[in-house]
Amino acid sequence: MSLQGWVPEIGPYLTLAEVIEHAFDYRGNVTVVRHDGDQVVGYLSNRDAAAREPFVQVIDEQGEGPIRIAYADIANILFTGKDPAEGNSWKAWIERKEREKAQAAPSNSA
Amino acid sequence: MSVPLSQMWTVATYVIRQKLAGRKRYPLVLMLEPLFRCNLACAGCGKIQYPAQILRKNLSVEKCLEAVDECGAPMVSIPGGEPLMYPEIDRLVDELVKRKKYVYLCTNAILLQEKLDLFRPSKYLTFSVHMDGLREEHDEAVCRDGVYDQAVPAIREALRRGFRVTTNTTLFDGASPLRVREFFDEMMRLGVEGMMMSPGYSYSKAPDQEHFLRRSRTNQLFSAILSNPRRGWRFNQSPLFLRFLMGKHDYECTPWGNPTYNMFGWQRPCYLLQDGYAETFKELMETTPWENYGRKSGNEKCQDCMVHCGFEATAVDHTFSSARAFIETAAVTFTGKL
Repeated sequence: MSLQGWVPEIGPYLTLAEVIEHAFDYRGNVTVVRHDGDQVVGYLSNRDAAAREPFVQVIDEQGEGPIRIAYADIANILFTGKDPAEGNSWKAWIERKEREKAQAAPSNSA
Repeated sequence: MSVPLSQMWTVATYVIRQKLAGRKRYPLVLMLEPLFRCNLACAGCGKIQYPAQILRKNLSVEKCLEAVDECGAPMVSIPGGEPLMYPEIDRLVDELVKRKKYVYLCTNAILLQEKLDLFRPSKYLTFSVHMDGLREEHDEAVCRDGVYDQAVPAIREALRRGFRVTTNTTLFDGASPLRVREFFDEMMRLGVEGMMMSPGYSYSKAPDQEHFLRRSRTNQLFSAILSNPRRGWRFNQSPLFLRFLMGKHDYECTPWGNPTYNMFGWQRPCYLLQDGYAETFKELMETTPWENYGRKSGNEKCQDCMVHCGFEATAVDHTFSSARAFIETAAVTFTGKL
């Protein structure tokens, strides 16, 4: 199931660290909301929770970066971009091929 | 087997040097991804699902060379994305050849004919053409009709001009051993130097999740394909790795053998899993918790994986780990009997 459109509610049942892990695994752009209200929209390309000052790295929509943002500065991460990994290209391809074969079959037998 | 002697010698002396130096973990093939853009969107590939700004980006040649020099592996594989879409692929390859690296440029061959003039034949440069089977199987795997018929003349032309050309084939569940054998015959008739193959890995990002092979099924499939190999077949990979695919060896993954570098950094832990990135190769080697990966670790993502990027380096290391393994490798190489 894709996380596209997800607006996490960080609280007792969902930590920021968990949201960051989901964002790191997500293949679309996200919006990183800082505590001061600033937002960075881009692809979250890396994170290091074990660093002395845990951080994420984001490549913004213009391709600039990586922009390093400390966990401590992040209020939330919104899954705003389209999820390019949510594909049905295989299924669509097979269905189209089968349709084509079915269409070709009557004319072959005629 | 078809790896040229000079390449075998380079790899053998490199591995022996690592062993004499007492290095337990060493890189054998650098997987260098200068871009993620591709002109295909294959169902089994999880490499190209990124937003537009990532797909537009390229690593600079200088960054690529820094990675190559830092890593020190004798072989460099350039997958992607489609490397022939990289704007400076000719300069990158030139620089790697100057450094006497054995380069495998992994391409779907759609652009190969029109780009051939950019390259000069060299024992260090091999075009490794992605071919997943005969026309029907290949076009189905790459989700586009006509790709097989573009690749075959491109291979012919590259061979005519004196380039080294191999094929690389990923096999998924449902592959017909008979058809794969026919495909091997066809590639040999075409005149490629050798063939490489691997089972597919179950990328969580790949659109097709139903056709990835489980371990026992992988052994059955590769045994059916390779048990009675035709005399003329040539493989451009470790014979012990092929025997591993057939279930004749039980190897553990050595992900540091094929480290991956791309625009995000040095990928942990391997070419297929993305558990984070290190800024330097040294950091990758020293700070990755390697014990968390591989079959013995219990990591569920690793349980069914038998992919070349995790196990071929293990097989090569095994060759030089004992006289028995060396003799086995030599025997398979000379007799062709797997």
